[in-house]
Amino acid sequence: MAFVEQLISNLLYGAILGSVYGLATMGLSLIFGVLRIVNVGHGAFIMVGAFIAYWMFILYGIPPLISLFLAIAVGMAIGLAIYMLVVKRLVDAPELASLLAMFAIGIFIEEFAKQIWGADYVGYSWEIGGVSMLFTEVPFTKLLAFASSIVIAAVVYVWFRKTKIGKAVRAVVEDREGATTCGIDVNRIYALSFSLGIGLTVLSGVLVTLFTPVGINVYMGGEYTLKAFVIAVLGGLASPWGAFYAGFIFGLIENGSYTLLGLIPGVEPFGLTRFLSSVVLMLVLLVKPTGLLGGE
Amino acid sequence: MLNVTDLQSGYGEMQVLWGIDLEVKEKSITVILGPNGAGKSTTLKTIFGTLKPWNGRIEYIGQDITFLPPHKKVELGMTLVPEGRHLFPNMTVKDNLYMGAYLKRAEERFEDSLELVYSLFPRLKERESQKAGTLSGGEQQMLAIARALMTSPNLILMDEPSQGLAPKLVKEVFETILKLKDEGLTILLVEQNVFASLEISDYAYILHEGKIAFGGTVDEVKESEEVKRAYLGV
Repeated sequence: MAFVEQLISNLLYGAILGSVYGLATMGLSLIFGVLRIVNVGHGAFIMVGAFIAYWMFILYGIPPLISLFLAIAVGMAIGLAIYMLVVKRLVDAPELASLLAMFAIGIFIEEFAKQIWGADYVGYSWEIGGVSMLFTEVPFTKLLAFASSIVIAAVVYVWFRKTKIGKAVRAVVEDREGATTCGIDVNRIYALSFSLGIGLTVLSGVLVTLFTPVGINVYMGGEYTLKAFVIAVLGGLASPWGAFYAGFIFGLIENGSYTLLGLIPGVEPFGLTRFLSSVVLMLVLLVKPTGLLGGE
Repeated sequence: MLNVTDLQSGYGEMQVLWGIDLEVKEKSITVILGPNGAGKSTTLKTIFGTLKPWNGRIEYIGQDITFLPPHKKVELGMTLVPEGRHLFPNMTVKDNLYMGAYLKRAEERFEDSLELVYSLFPRLKERESQKAGTLSGGEQQMLAIARALMTSPNLILMDEPSQGLAPKLVKEVFETILKLKDEGLTILLVEQNVFASLEISDYAYILHEGKIAFGGTVDEVKESEEVKRAYLGV
């Protein structure tokens, strides 16, 4: 049964890619959850992470897994700078103001990146072999991306649940006024969350490069912004964990449906997978308008 | 302990407070009474700093704190039990209390504060690992007061602590406030429940249209027939 084998191997890829999708959406959900700001420039930060991975590998031969550390540090620094310069003033402004500001920042980063790195597609290839499993050959790079995503998400989860500062972030999400009466400096929590959210997004950009060997380009972010929004809504918008699980589901649907749609003659499966993802999103929202893990 | 002079504030363009003068003496209970919309909650919010003062001066333990942000005031030993409780509903009772002890000064005294809180509200200890959102209304009010106590405060501002509670629980809340005074705390209270709050208070202010219409000891308020008729509706 070649078809079943193909479906299973595609679902395996879906789960692997889904974990990276999930990680790439956590930052978006974190920022929305804490600051109620929609980062429409999300994809630009993924692009920054992708270029960090690319240049570290090309210039110094540093493997992407090491670049993860640099990416989160750079991302958090960029996030903090954007918060201090722009977002801080817009937290209490009407939504449209922050929406436009994040949109503008996204464009600024893309155009700035184009000035330094040019508009060409680039890529690198990190060959470390692979393993045969579930009817397919899975490269170690993708398995590492899968494992890193899960480990990073777990670390963020524990940080939120167990540390004092993580709990303070949750307190601000749950009730800003209540947090104030505890002596929590809400402004500092905003700065930290925004910075961490951008840090996670840039970091996920490093892992994304393991799936797009020649797809690194300053405008690559748009696609991920779109996917991240679908995933974030699916996961309940304000919940980073919801986002992570929803990423898995999105990956499975995308890759699973690709195989199934390929069976229909005269259909271009790639275009339809996006359609199907949106259909699933609509169905989930019909049944549970707060998203899969929303309202928890 | 707390001295407020000519305090003015409001929301957006709308001025609510038109020059409030009041004083809170150490280890006393002071209540602000007045009709709906007189600016009672606004007064507390402005003193605590969730609303920015437009004008005037707030002095606390000899320091000018008029424009300090709320978290700095908590550090100085002032906190607010807000109207509507503002708990963290998806966090456990224990974590709510732990958040109350967020600042270093309070965290150092976490165990002592927790002991005090659990002796005042034994039911909270039973519900320690339950989510705050699943508590009953009365328990939630207890938790709101308990969380404020965890900040290890000297002055607690309380915004309508009896709101929405059954009569029996209202009595319990007021008894608790008296106990807090016995613990050496100072309380500034805003209340709709005129009789019960006059019963436990030492000083009272009557707020009318954003101004203090009357201020004095509780006995003075009780004796003044005019005040009672005009502002308290009794």
